Amino acid sequence: MQTLLRLSRPLLCIARSLPRVAFARSAKLSTASVAASSVNQEEIQFFSRLSSQWWDESGEFGLLHKMNPVRVQFVKNKIFETVHDDGFEEIAEREKNGKILDGLDVLDVGCGGGLLSESLARLGANTLGVDASASNITIASLHAAQDPALCRTSALGNVPLQYRNAAAEELVEEPKRFDVVCSMEVIEHVDNPAAFLRSCAELVKVSYELNSPGGHLFLSTVSRTPLAYFLTILAAEKLLQLVEPGTHTFSKYVKPAELIEFFQKPLGAAGRPWISHVYDGMPVRQEAEVRGMAYLPWKGAWTLAPRGAFGSTECNYLFWVRKPLSSRV
Amino acid sequence: MRFNYLVDTGAWKSVEESRVASIEEMQVWDGLSDARITFNANEANIGHNNGQAPHMATMTENLNLQRALLRSLDASGVAEIIDNTKVSRIEKDTRNGGWPLVHTSNGEVLRARLLVGADGPNSPVRSYAGIESYGWAYDTRAIVATLNHAPRLAGLQKQSKTAYQRFLPTGPIAFLPLSPTSSSLVWSTKPTLAAALTATDPQALVHMINAAFRLPEVSIRYLHRFVLDEKQQMSSDALLEEIRWRERAHVIDQHSVFSSHAFDGIGIPPSDAEMLPPLVTSIQPGSVASFPLRLSHADSYIGEGEHGSRTALLGDAAHTIHPLAGQGLNMGLADAQALAECIQSAVLVGGDIGSRTALLPYARARYFENHKLLSATDKLHKLYSSTFSPVVWVRSVGLEVVNELDTLKAAIMMTAGSSSSVQKQRFDASSWATAARSVELAGSAWRAATSVGKTVEGVLAAGLSNLLTSSGRR
Ligand SMILES: Cc1cc2nc3c(=O)[nH]c(=O)nc-3n(C[C@H](O)[C@H](O)[C@H](O)COP(=O)(O)OP(=O)(O)OC[C@H]3O[C@@H](n4cnc5c(N)ncnc54)[C@H](O)[C@@H]3O)c2cc1C
Repeated sequence: MQTLLRLSRPLLCIARSLPRVAFARSAKLSTASVAASSVNQEEIQFFSRLSSQWWDESGEFGLLHKMNPVRVQFVKNKIFETVHDDGFEEIAEREKNGKILDGLDVLDVGCGGGLLSESLARLGANTLGVDASASNITIASLHAAQDPALCRTSALGNVPLQYRNAAAEELVEEPKRFDVVCSMEVIEHVDNPAAFLRSCAELVKVSYELNSPGGHLFLSTVSRTPLAYFLTILAAEKLLQLVEPGTHTFSKYVKPAELIEFFQKPLGAAGRPWISHVYDGMPVRQEAEVRGMAYLPWKGAWTLAPRGAFGSTECNYLFWVRKPLSSRV
Repeated sequence: MRFNYLVDTGAWKSVEESRVASIEEMQVWDGLSDARITFNANEANIGHNNGQAPHMATMTENLNLQRALLRSLDASGVAEIIDNTKVSRIEKDTRNGGWPLVHTSNGEVLRARLLVGADGPNSPVRSYAGIESYGWAYDTRAIVATLNHAPRLAGLQKQSKTAYQRFLPTGPIAFLPLSPTSSSLVWSTKPTLAAALTATDPQALVHMINAAFRLPEVSIRYLHRFVLDEKQQMSSDALLEEIRWRERAHVIDQHSVFSSHAFDGIGIPPSDAEMLPPLVTSIQPGSVASFPLRLSHADSYIGEGEHGSRTALLGDAAHTIHPLAGQGLNMGLADAQALAECIQSAVLVGGDIGSRTALLPYARARYFENHKLLSATDKLHKLYSSTFSPVVWVRSVGLEVVNELDTLKAAIMMTAGSSSSVQKQRFDASSWATAARSVELAGSAWRAATSVGKTVEGVLAAGLSNLLTSSGRR
């Protein structure tokens, strides 16, 4: 009874959960080629079945599907705001035709089945989705291949969406950098969050324009609070068994303050901190922002909490930070 | 009609104005007790939008609206119309993610990201999606026709802006003005009678229509035999004689508005002339048709799972309603508006518009709204089909009580045609609060009805049915 009462609160936390049962077989197949064209029929069928989990909107991933529009909205808002602050007028035009990310190079680290990558690509971004799991990449590629809008090559020869089986650390070794790097519901699953964050930050473009800051880093995760423990682990895994037990490890949850603190320190020997100062523990709007997200069961939808709303970042939250001017890191 | 939506989308510009009538008043009365309710847009202070005179509903023929919509689509240049073509088959693209493949009669195959079923009550899209539909056929058919009549005399201009509906035990008969000399008929009645009336000599139908608005119910029932029974069929002149004989029997004065004698233009017209529609003189050739009436509501507006992914239903494909409240088209337009808004917000966040996640807000916005109207209209139909006298008494009291409560009437008018989102918002904010207050004053039966929502057919029906269940159960 107590549980049910508590659960009926407006806040419901989730974090991405991998369908472990389904993926048990995938280790064997991790050497399979990623390109859809070279996968044999039997493999396609196997992956399609897996894919039906990632893309089954009423299944275990339903809440994540519903969360997606809110994450995209946050990315859009911040890009719009900063481009506006930087004094580029044409952004309003882009907003109108729905292609607000037109021409931007966007990286989705830990893309899973491609939920976020597909949306970013539809908004005009040249999107690269990477995931350490080869089967995730195959699933994501197969799903995108069904959608002609995502695999059509543009007049300039750009393909709006591409996937690669790689870890963020591997990309750091390559020269390519991105206007926007997103890593949603990933950091709570990695072993060394500090190293992971450093790699993501490194992949963000440095600005070559005079007086203009660099690219953007977006994260979303779950805070390490009693409420988050209660909702994501005790309730979701143990009591209600909404997701596989073992999906989340409480000690890996990251608090917003810890992210802010991380970016207040220089990330490399020569670099500047991304967050120069904080007021009441919060960064200035031009440097970084933390926004809570909550699921409203009676609306069947997630909502982006208003800026600074009390208690809104106790569970699921989004984080944005921007590479500072003339930072090399 | 959801008038503002049509204006906002620009479609209204292409409508032929001479075939559009603004309804400022609605007269509704009970066929057995003659209890009458008058809705007046001026009184209720609604409909002051787009710089027009206050009106409660806008009437036009389906054809006029359809032509305008096609023209404005053409002008927009964003849509491609494949006309004179039927959908011959829909199948699932099983090898490529289950997108619907639409085969057309001209041999094309279209692969749809989102397949919208706006394909009417026998929706092929609904069958493809495997969506079940719940409901039943009414033992009723609706006769539709375009009627000609003399223009209103000076001083009675209002009449061409008044809609009339009389509830007979066999079903409601409605007279909806289109222009000063033509109006539209929707006459819901028993299937056998509908078949006979549509097959009969059009002039006999003219007399039957005039009588159906005027004669006491016993006489109307008596007249049915002359169209139903082949052996008793008579010429239209003989039918008119029969009607006049019955008028004399009911002591209906020849100069009264209830008489089948047209006002001869001499002297002053009867003072109660506005209580009834003008006498019909003829029927536009080819305009008579009849349709079976059904209540139906699809179990879901968006397809799901194995078969139905990437489908959405709207309009009559999703629901059919008894025409007594004139809501069919409105509901479809409201669906279209909600679906368009839903698609737009999905596009703005890079969503896949065929996905369940993107479409769910559409279903949430419309399903319950439509359900309320469907059940309220169904209750009204049942209520007025009865000749059982306590029921007649209760519903007459119902009509007269409503007549006294202006805010409730306003609410009825809001739902009976002209509602638009702008009006609705204004209404929600202040008038509804007033309406709710007067509902409370009127006693607990009304208060219970507020929970039914803003459909005042709902208020009416729920309030009355509360009373009815006790009397009906004896
Ligand atoms: C007797 C009667 C009186 C009514 N009176 C009123 C009234 O006074 N006021 C009011 O608001 N509403 C009224 N209605 C309701 C109103 O007519 C409907 O609600 C409205 O027309 C529904 O529109 P729709 O586009 O959903 O369906 P429809 O108008 O049925 O349109 C469906 C379309 O799909 C097409 N189609 C179907 N199958 C295929 C296929 N395989 N291939 C290609 N095309 C196909 C059809 O040709 C048709 O054009 C009345 C209805 C009836 C029956």
